[in-house]
Amino acid sequence: PILSEGWAAEKDFQPIGHLSRAIDRNIEPVGPHFLAHARRKRHKRTFSEDDRI
Amino acid sequence: MSEQQAPAERVAIGISFGNSYSSIAFTSGEGKAEVIANEDGDRQIPSMLSYVEGEELHGQQAKAQLVRNPRNTVAYFRDFIGQEFKSIDPTPAHQSAHPAQHDSTIAFNIRDTEEDKQNAVSISDITARHLKRLRTSASDYLGKDVNAAVITVPTNFSDAQKEALVKSAKEAGLEVLQLISEPVSAVLAYDARPEAKLADKIVVVADLGGTRSDIAVIASRGGIYTILATHHDYEVSGFQLDQVLMDYFAKEFLKKNKSAGDPRENERALAKLKLESEAVKKSLSIGTTANFSVESLVNGIDFQATINRTRYELLANKQIGAFVRLVTHAVEKADLDPLDISEVILAGGNAHTPKIASAIGNAFPESTQVIAPTTFPKAINPSELPVRGAAIQASLIQEFELEDIQQSTHPMVTVTPHLSHAVGVLCISDDESRGVFHAIVDAETPLPVRRTAIIATPKEGGDVLIKLAEGARHIKVTKPEPKPKQEKSKSDSDDDSDDDSEEEEEELREKTWKIGKVLSEAALRGVKKGAKVEVQINIGADLSVNAIFREQGGKGGVRGILQASAQAPNGSA
Repeated sequence: PILSEGWAAEKDFQPIGHLSRAIDRNIEPVGPHFLAHARRKRHKRTFSEDDRI
Repeated sequence: MSEQQAPAERVAIGISFGNSYSSIAFTSGEGKAEVIANEDGDRQIPSMLSYVEGEELHGQQAKAQLVRNPRNTVAYFRDFIGQEFKSIDPTPAHQSAHPAQHDSTIAFNIRDTEEDKQNAVSISDITARHLKRLRTSASDYLGKDVNAAVITVPTNFSDAQKEALVKSAKEAGLEVLQLISEPVSAVLAYDARPEAKLADKIVVVADLGGTRSDIAVIASRGGIYTILATHHDYEVSGFQLDQVLMDYFAKEFLKKNKSAGDPRENERALAKLKLESEAVKKSLSIGTTANFSVESLVNGIDFQATINRTRYELLANKQIGAFVRLVTHAVEKADLDPLDISEVILAGGNAHTPKIASAIGNAFPESTQVIAPTTFPKAINPSELPVRGAAIQASLIQEFELEDIQQSTHPMVTVTPHLSHAVGVLCISDDESRGVFHAIVDAETPLPVRRTAIIATPKEGGDVLIKLAEGARHIKVTKPEPKPKQEKSKSDSDDDSDDDSEEEEEELREKTWKIGKVLSEAALRGVKKGAKVEVQINIGADLSVNAIFREQGGKGGVRGILQASAQAPNGSA
C-alpha cells in the first residue's frame, strides 16, 4: 500500500499489536530439520548463531 | 545387555513392523534408502512364524502354512505386543494360532519343538524371534552384523507397547535407537528424496493396511512435522477387500458345483480361499484381469475363475467408499477443510489399488495431490514408505549416543509452541477490509521460526506502507447461480437437502483470508518503480516478532521488534 500523508513513527516502524497466544503441540522427533531444531534448543542457540557454525 | 554399542560399531537399519507385513531397509553410502529383500526374495515379508517338526519357518513360507498347519502358525500379532489379553481383539488371528492369556501377558500355544507337546510361547518371545529373523536377513544381505534399528510404530501405540517392543528387540540383538511413528516416517521418505522441495504444507497420510487403517493429518513446516489429528479404524481394512473377493469366488464355486459345500465353511478351504483372494487383489492392482485358481478347494474339486478389475471395483464399491470417508473424517477431526490439504500420501499395501487412489482424489479439490502409484508418476512404492523413512532416520542418528537421542526426543524438546494464526503482510490496500493478505508464516508453524518472502509493491513506487497482520483461513462458499431449468422448476424450489442427485450444481469453495489483528506498520520510503520488497519475519518461542523490511537488492531497510504481550488474553480469535 502507498504510504498515507503524514504517517510517521520512530525509525519508520510502529508496533501495534501482539501475536495471539500460541498452541503447544508436540513436534515429531524425526528428520534432519528436527535434529537441527533439537540441537538449537538444547544449546539455546538462535537461527543466526546456528548458521555461523 | 546393558552395554551399549559404541556408535562407530553400529550397523543400523530401518524396520517397519506391521501386523501383516514387515520390511527392512538400509541407507546406502550415497544416502539413498534401499529396501532389503529376504532370502525368499520378498521385500514385503509376512509377519508370520510357523513351526513344522521343530523347524521355524518365517515370512512367506510361514504364510503358506496357514493352510496345512494353522494351529502352529503365529500371524497378525503385532498389535498384541505389550497388551493385556482382555484388551486385544483376536479376530485377525482366528485362522492361525489363537492368542491366550498367559500370566499378565499373551501367549500362543504352539508345538515349536520336535517333541510332541504344546508350549506356551509369549508374545514377547514371538516378537523377538520375528525380529531376529529380520535382523538375520538384513545381516546376510549387508554382510555385516546388524545390531541397531529404528522401528516404526502406529501413532496410537501405548508406552507399554513401545516398551515391550524395545525389550523384544533387545532380545533379538537389536538396539532400538528410536521408535518413530508410521505416518511421519512415510512423509520423511518423500521429503528425503533429493528432488523434494521443502514447503509449508498440510499432508494427510493414509496408511491402508491389512488389519487396520491409520490416517494422520500432519503439518509439515520447513521439514518439521506436527501431527494435527489421527484416526484409526480396525474395520475398514484390506481384509475387507479380500473378503469381497472371497465371497465372490465362493459364490461362483457354489454355482458351478452345486453339491459341494461352501468353501467358507471349511477351515482349510477358507484358508486357501483367503490366500488366493489376496493374491488376486494384488494382481488386480497391476493388471486389469486376474486368475483365481485353487487346487482341491473343497471335496477335492479344483476351482478356476477369472475376474476383471471393473467387476472387482463394483463389488468393492462400498469398501472403497469407506476408505474415502476415513480420510475425509480425519481432515474434519483436524478442523480443516479438504482445500487446506496439499498432499494425500497413500501408504500401506492397499494403496496400490487404483480405484482407492482415484476415489480419494475425487473427495479432494484439484489442488490436492494424491500420491499413489496410479496418480503420481514419481510415487514411491506405498508398501515401502514407512521402512524407507525408518532407514533414513536410522542413518541420521546412528552416530549419536543413545543418551543424546533420548534427550533430544524428550518432551522438553518436542513440545513447542505453534502459531495459532498465520502471519503475513497486507498487500494492495491499506484498508483492512479491502486488503489482500499474503501469508508469510502459516498457522501451526512451530516456533521459533524464520521466514522470508518477496512481495510486490505498487507499480508507481514511492513511499510504501507495510502492514504486518494475523490472518485466519476462511472457506468462502459461493453458491452457483441457479441454472434456468424451466421444465424442472419444481425441483429447484424443492429443498435441496434430500435431493442428492448428481446433477446438482456443485458449490464453489475457495480459500480466502480473514484479516485478524494488525501487528505493526512500517514505512519504506523511496521505493523504486516496480521494485519488490523482501520481508523477513523471525518469531521467537516467546512470541516476540522481529521483522525486517527491505527493498530487494537495496540496503538498510526498516527493522522492528514486537515484544510478546505480557499476558496474552485468553482465547483471542
